[in-house]
Amino acid sequence: MRQILSIATTTVGEAIRRRVLLIILLIGVLFLVVAPGLGVLSARSETVVLRGMMLGIIQLTSAVIAIVLTVYMIPNEIERRTIYTILSKPVQRWQFLIGKYLGAVFSLGLMMALMTAVLVFVFWLQASDQSLAAVGAMVKAPTMYFVQMSLLAAVAIFFSTFVAPLVNFFLTGGMYLLGSLFNPFFQTLQENQGTHPVTKAFAGIVNTILPNFANYNVQNPIINPTQVIQNESRYYLEVTFYGLFYIGILLVAGILIFDRREV
Amino acid sequence: MAAAIETKQLTKSYKSRAAGNINVVDNLDLHVEEGEIFGFLGPNGAGKTTTIKMLLGIIYPTSGEGFVLGKEIGDMAVHRLISYLPERPYYYEHMTGLELLKFYGSLFGIYDEAKYRALLEKVNLHRDMTKTISQYSKGMQQRVGLAQSLLNDPKLLFLDEPTGGLDPIAHREIRDLILSFRDEGRTVFISSHELSEVELICDRVAIINKGIIERQGKLTELLHGGRIEITVGGVDEAFLKGLNIPDSNIRGLPVGVLMDMPEEQDPNGIIDAVRNRKGTVISVVPRRKRLEDLFVETVTNPALGGKPSVPPAVAEEIVK
Repeated sequence: MRQILSIATTTVGEAIRRRVLLIILLIGVLFLVVAPGLGVLSARSETVVLRGMMLGIIQLTSAVIAIVLTVYMIPNEIERRTIYTILSKPVQRWQFLIGKYLGAVFSLGLMMALMTAVLVFVFWLQASDQSLAAVGAMVKAPTMYFVQMSLLAAVAIFFSTFVAPLVNFFLTGGMYLLGSLFNPFFQTLQENQGTHPVTKAFAGIVNTILPNFANYNVQNPIINPTQVIQNESRYYLEVTFYGLFYIGILLVAGILIFDRREV
Repeated sequence: MAAAIETKQLTKSYKSRAAGNINVVDNLDLHVEEGEIFGFLGPNGAGKTTTIKMLLGIIYPTSGEGFVLGKEIGDMAVHRLISYLPERPYYYEHMTGLELLKFYGSLFGIYDEAKYRALLEKVNLHRDMTKTISQYSKGMQQRVGLAQSLLNDPKLLFLDEPTGGLDPIAHREIRDLILSFRDEGRTVFISSHELSEVELICDRVAIINKGIIERQGKLTELLHGGRIEITVGGVDEAFLKGLNIPDSNIRGLPVGVLMDMPEEQDPNGIIDAVRNRKGTVISVVPRRKRLEDLFVETVTNPALGGKPSVPPAVAEEIVK
């Protein structure tokens, strides 16, 4: 366990100093700060637009950070030969991979926490309802986004055990888009009574293989209080466990590949 | 003496579309004894780093077997007793020298600040321990690498080109450190191109070329075959020829006569004979065979291992 924690801590130290990540984070924070100014351009209720825009900024920025942070993680260690000094110590490959993943998730958490703090502060300044409950409700979406980004990081770590960073960038990005946009479509196909059995089976397979990133897009009830998630706490717990289960599968698959890989 | 490293027909092959199966390391039989400094030499691409990686369990052999400190390669228990300094190492640049040792120490469960400081003092970095690695020179990075390799008090150290690209002062510092490892009873396995360095510090060497061990043994035995040059005055060439020294060459010089002969021959007999003849001994110069000569001879000689090796010009370049 100490090896995993040491590797994770070092990964966080490295990640929070990576300029490219800090620039992406800075751009995200800047957009969050100027978002209230952009809200007046919309004809819709300012608060609705502001909430939607700010949550969108956090989600997009976090997704870019998650992908950029993780696709280079393992290849960089191999290219710079830092992996050799680590693996020549009493460190198993699975410990190394898990340590790197946890480090990536901690780093993501830190960066997302910063953006969420800015979101809460800006929202608090702008909102008419400044109650703790109203502000607290805004934090639900970034919390779910964090689970989503942890899942995205696991996808990237899995691919990084056997493909080059550039290919990984497109594969992970593609999976994210497909899992966010098309998974609900395949889910509907699978559940629809009128769907042909073959189509249903195909939709079922795709729906199972493809991580359902859309599960975590919980911004609608926050943006628009007239929409509600039935049994909200249970839903959040279920999708969190779904994410953890999927992350577990991806990490085990990644470990099995990485264990046999020549580095 | 027990073997620190023992390999039996250790082979690593890679598939190539153009050439089929390529044996990067081919039936390697290596024997390194405990407590010695062992030089592992070879031109670029000879299979040195691949061999080290296999011994460390970082890559897997295609066939054959290997034992490090009596355990099969890849055994995690051995990783507590060995250490590795890679060629041109890179460390996390945001860390200070002290933080770097803390990180590597934590991988062993060593949380001893006094030990970290003592190691940094040993490699002469105690005044720079709070500087970040990005502020370290190449030599300092190499020294902090050596410090991290000593954290677990290793019985066996693998050093891949430990003096590569360093200035003469850093060379000397690293060389002295390596010699101190032997005094401490550690086994050191060095892969290097710096033949003069290896010749100074190694007890035994192996020369690998194209994945095959061409020579292996004690340096004193491998460098056997040197010659002695004796220059004398007051006697002629015929007198020296009359001494009937086998495998000797005699030729006249402006200052006298020069005889060169195998180093096994006792020069004292010749010196006495010249003096008895009222001649003078001008000089006696042993011409030792150098490791560089052996290396070039090995990697350029097609008769050794039956393979034409790198062109002589390339081999000379490597030696330089």
